[in-house]
Order: sequence, then structure tokens, then C-alpha cells
Amino acid sequence: MVCYTFYMDLQQKLEILADSAKYDASCASSGSNRGGRGTGAAHQSGVCHSWTADGRCVSLLKILMTNECVYDCAYCVNRRSNDAPKAILTPDEIAGLTFEFYKRNYIEGLFLSSGIVVSPDRTMELMLEAVRKLRENFHFNGYVHMKVIPGADQRLIDQAGLWADRVSVNIELPSDKSLRLLAPGKTKDTVLTPMNRLAQQIAAHKDERRSIKSSPAYAPAGQSTQLIIGATPETDREIIKLSEALYGKMALKRVYYSAFVPVMKDSRLPALREPPLLREHRLYQADWLLRFYGFTADELLDAEHPQLDLSFDPKTVWALNNLDKFPLEVNKASYEEILRVPGIGVTSARRILRARRAGPLKLDDLKKLGVVMKRAMYFVTAGGRYGGIKKETQEAIKVKLLEHKNPNNQLDLFGQGEPAKEGLEAAVTGQL
Amino acid sequence: MRTYLYDGTFESFLTALSLALERDEECALAREAGAEAGLFSEFMNAGTDPARAAAMRDLFERRGSGESWHHARYAFLSEAAGAEDAVLAYARLIKEKGRAADDMLADGRVKKVHGLSASVGGEAHMFKGFVRFKELADKTLYAKIEPDHNILPLLTGHFKARLGELNWVIHDARRGRAALYLNGGLVYAPLTQAKALEFDGKEGQVQALWRHFFKTAAIKERTNPELQRQNVPLKYRKNLTEFGD
Repeated sequence: MVCYTFYMDLQQKLEILADSAKYDASCASSGSNRGGRGTGAAHQSGVCHSWTADGRCVSLLKILMTNECVYDCAYCVNRRSNDAPKAILTPDEIAGLTFEFYKRNYIEGLFLSSGIVVSPDRTMELMLEAVRKLRENFHFNGYVHMKVIPGADQRLIDQAGLWADRVSVNIELPSDKSLRLLAPGKTKDTVLTPMNRLAQQIAAHKDERRSIKSSPAYAPAGQSTQLIIGATPETDREIIKLSEALYGKMALKRVYYSAFVPVMKDSRLPALREPPLLREHRLYQADWLLRFYGFTADELLDAEHPQLDLSFDPKTVWALNNLDKFPLEVNKASYEEILRVPGIGVTSARRILRARRAGPLKLDDLKKLGVVMKRAMYFVTAGGRYGGIKKETQEAIKVKLLEHKNPNNQLDLFGQGEPAKEGLEAAVTGQL
Repeated sequence: MRTYLYDGTFESFLTALSLALERDEECALAREAGAEAGLFSEFMNAGTDPARAAAMRDLFERRGSGESWHHARYAFLSEAAGAEDAVLAYARLIKEKGRAADDMLADGRVKKVHGLSASVGGEAHMFKGFVRFKELADKTLYAKIEPDHNILPLLTGHFKARLGELNWVIHDARRGRAALYLNGGLVYAPLTQAKALEFDGKEGQVQALWRHFFKTAAIKERTNPELQRQNVPLKYRKNLTEFGD
């Protein structure tokens, strides 16, 4: 059970270590289906347990094992030269605390990250020990997300996926140049090497389980990573191209985008007055388009337009640039085509396909199916009828779309970056 | 107009539904306690007839699509005003159109029942996250909930799988009912007022740790109470440990 006898009381430690962990955007608890004897089961679609004052979902006990670190990365709150109070949780404390929280249904499980204490190997060993205790001593079958420490021995990295449902290595800075500038001691390779290894392990175990059912699951909820947005000069195009490659080549489940919060002053960092939240939101939208809507990065951004438009969502921008493909007849178009209409998400596209089996759809029906007509009307016909403006020039549609924009729209939309749920269920809530 | 009264249970509701479906003229369904006598209404007690209830399930499962039974059951659990008559209209449509009925997504009758069903499914999913247990002195976990819909039966499977051999009670204080999972067996029982509960000695400490964690996890620079309110409606907060003091 939780041990209260350490020099610093648990509450204080928890506060320090939760405070340092909170900038990690990932909170997904989905994609795993653990269960069986003992306590706990992971839920395929993930469960949010609460939402903090910033509107972000809480689904895991997200903490660092320690905020001590041998590195001195400029963007990081845990950098060596930051003389904020340091704390460390023992494996027993981490396992005990997770179990007490889990039992009361505060959380789906544990998200364990850490600063580097002594060495990457030592850090990884202690983290593995905490998760092993949780699994073996508490017979815990809930969700565990484990950070893999770059530079740790391959043997230790390989173990992570055997204990955890999800593993991740944060890239943080989207280019090698930025890493070298802001994260001395880290390069593209130190990050990509463990990521690559995890990808291989995940694929190999999956293959093996196809023929031998009893072989152990390896990170059944896959691998994710995070990019910090706005601390360095990379364009949205570079970022989205990177994500596309990570989804394709590394088979990552998720890339998270975290608007840079300038917690540390450093001459190498931009002086932002507030985190670039709208930009972060647009990146999540573009990311969604890659994963669920069949878009490629090149369709969304090109060398002449390397930044996402802040006034319009990326799908609308794409549609406005491709007016020759519209309007689409909803009674005839394919699912893939319908998905590309602004104002139609995965759910409403599926509904259209289903409802038109029962009879031809009229314009009036579309709203009932959940289509956001104030956006979609310029891009569809139903039974040959068109509800948009007569002369559908790009500029005319833009003006109309902006008129409709509810002043709180941007705030509402932030919910879409909601990273707790993923897969199709998430695409359904994060419709474009 | 004839109104069939059911006793509040699903089986009795299905019996009433079956009786109403047999008549060609318009009928209504109402729960015994809530029905008000109108001047021209004629009331009939439907009672509970297992054979009729089974026949209704058959209608939804065999005549309808793969999801009709699910929608009918969830819409019933919504306990929303007009839910009974909506299911009746939906059942009539299924009788007429068969499995095609669920494709008629723009049809008011289908949209209504699908909507109620989605609302119940949504609340049940939310409460998989919002149930907050407190550990009692005898180590039983106790949670109080006050959901809009009657979702208690939709939560028990989830917590059974999750909590293993631990004993637990989920108390729907709004409906005065509880699901009790004790020593490996699940029972439902009326529970209007829990006795003064005696908590485990460590309970207060764990709650305090959780509240601290919750407060700390918010990023100040991103404060967005509107978004928080959308995700955790105020009405649910009084039973959430992290929103108490």
C-alpha cells in the first residue's frame, strides 16, 4: 500500500511530479482490451474520467517518476538548470497510488514518464520496476502508458512493451536542427532509434500472435509521440509531413501536438505571450484528415502554402481550392468523396450512405442526418438541388462562411483536439 | 384513446407494447404512477406477460435490423417524456418495413428513437468515467450517482469486469435503486437512503491526493472553463470527488 514515511510527504511529491508531467498532451486510454483475473480491464474505446480547468481530459494518473534530469533542454520545465523543487517516487509508491486511484474509478490507469536520473538505463529500470509491481503485486489489468527513455539499453526498451499497453518516445522538436539547438544531448537519431525498435517489436509480436494465440501481447495499444508546436520555426507543412511519415513508416497510433507554453525563459526560445492554441487545433484537424478522411499531407499544404489557414479548417481550405470537384450529388457520390465535403464528418457520411438505401435524399434530409449545412451547402446537391449561392466563386463562399461563423466557434472547436479517444469513435466526435 | 399502463419494468412495458400493436387505432403507453386520467381516455392495465414480452423482443430482433432491439431497450431506459409512445411508433414502423426501418434515418420516428438511444448510450459511457467510489470501513466500494437516464443496468457489466473480486455498490440516488456486487454475485435492490456511511480510515487521504492531482494537472495558460463545462456538465459535479472540497 501507499507508504507515507518518506522525507517528503506523498501529497507534496505528487504535486511536483504531476505538475511536471502535465505538458504531455497524451491522455488516451483506448486501443487495448486487457482483462482477466485480478483487478482492472482496459476499455477498447477509452474512458475519460474528468476534465481539468483547461478542458483537457483526465484519464490516466499522469506523473513523472522524478523531475530530476541530467539533461538541460531549453523548452523543458524539468531541465537541470531549473532550480524548482525536485522529487522522486519509489516504484512502490507509484504502484500503490495508481491502485488506490484506479479502485475508486478516478482513472483508467497510469501514464508514467520521467526525467533522467543517474542514467537512461537506471531510469528505465526503476520505471519498469514500478509497472511490474503494479501488474504482479496488485494484479492490475488496467491501462499503462509508459514513456521510453531515449538512450536506454535495447533490452530495457524491449521490456517496456511487455508491461505497458502503450509506449511512446516524444520527438518534441520537429527537426534535427531544432533538437540540436534546444536539446543538447539529443539528436534525431537518439529519438528515432528507440521508436524504430518499438515499431519492429510491435509488428513482430503482432505477427507471432496471429499464429500463436498464447504469445504475449506487446504494447497492444501501440506507439505514440508528441511534437511541441511554436517553440521552433518549423512550418505546418514540415510538421504534417513528419506526422504522415510517422503514421506510415513507424505505424504510430497517434501524434500529439502540444502548443508551446513558455514556462522557462531562455534566449533561444521565442517570447510568446500565449500558447498557439488555434494553430495546435488546426494541426489536430489536419492530422484527423490524414488518419480518417483519406487526405495526404501534400493535398493539404504545399511549398507555396506551408502554413494552415487560421480562419478556416483545413478541409474547407482544400475544398475551396478544388471547387471543380464540387458540388457533389449526395445520392450518387462515393463514401470517400462524401468524406471530403466540409461539414460532413465520419458519422454523417456513414448516415448518408445508409439513409440513401432507404430512398433518395433531399436537401432537407441532410440536416437531420447531422450534416452541418451552413458549411456543406456550397458543396453538395441532393436530387440535383443546390442550396448554395448561385455563383460559387471561392471568394463568395469564403465571405458567406465567415458570416456564419459563430464568435465562439473557435472555442467550441478546441474540443476536437481532445486526445482521449481515438480510432473511429474519436473521429466521430471530432468531425470536420 | 386507449392507454396501456405498465408497472415500470421493461417486461411490463413490452407487454403493453404488444397489446397496443395489436390494435389498429391509436393507442398510448404510460407508466402507472405517472398517467393522468383524461376525459376521453380509457385505461387498461397491461400487467406482465412473459410470452408477449418475448414476442416483442422477437419482433425487434428478427423483423428489425441488427440494432433495433438495442435502440428500443435504450430508448426505454431514457425515461424521457414521450419515450414510450416513440418506441410504439418505432415498433409499428418495424412491423411494416422490417429491417429497412433503421435505414430511414431522416424519418422522424426513427430519428426520435435513435436519438434517445444515443443519449442513453452517451450518458452510460460518461458514467463509466464519472462513477466515484469511496472505500467503506468493510472495504466495500460505494458510489452514488444521479444520472438523467436509468443507466444503472448498463454500468454493472463494466464494473464487474473492472473491479475483479472487490465488493462494490453503485447507488442511483435519483431512482432509489442500487446495484450491489457482493462476493461475486450481482443483485439490484431498492435503496432510498444509505445509512450514515462509515469510511475506511485512509479514504480521506486518498481523496485529498486525488483533488491535489486534479488541480495540478490543469495548465494555467490554457484555462478554458467553458470547455470544461461542456465536458463535465455542472449537474454531474456534486458527486465527483475532484469538484468537492
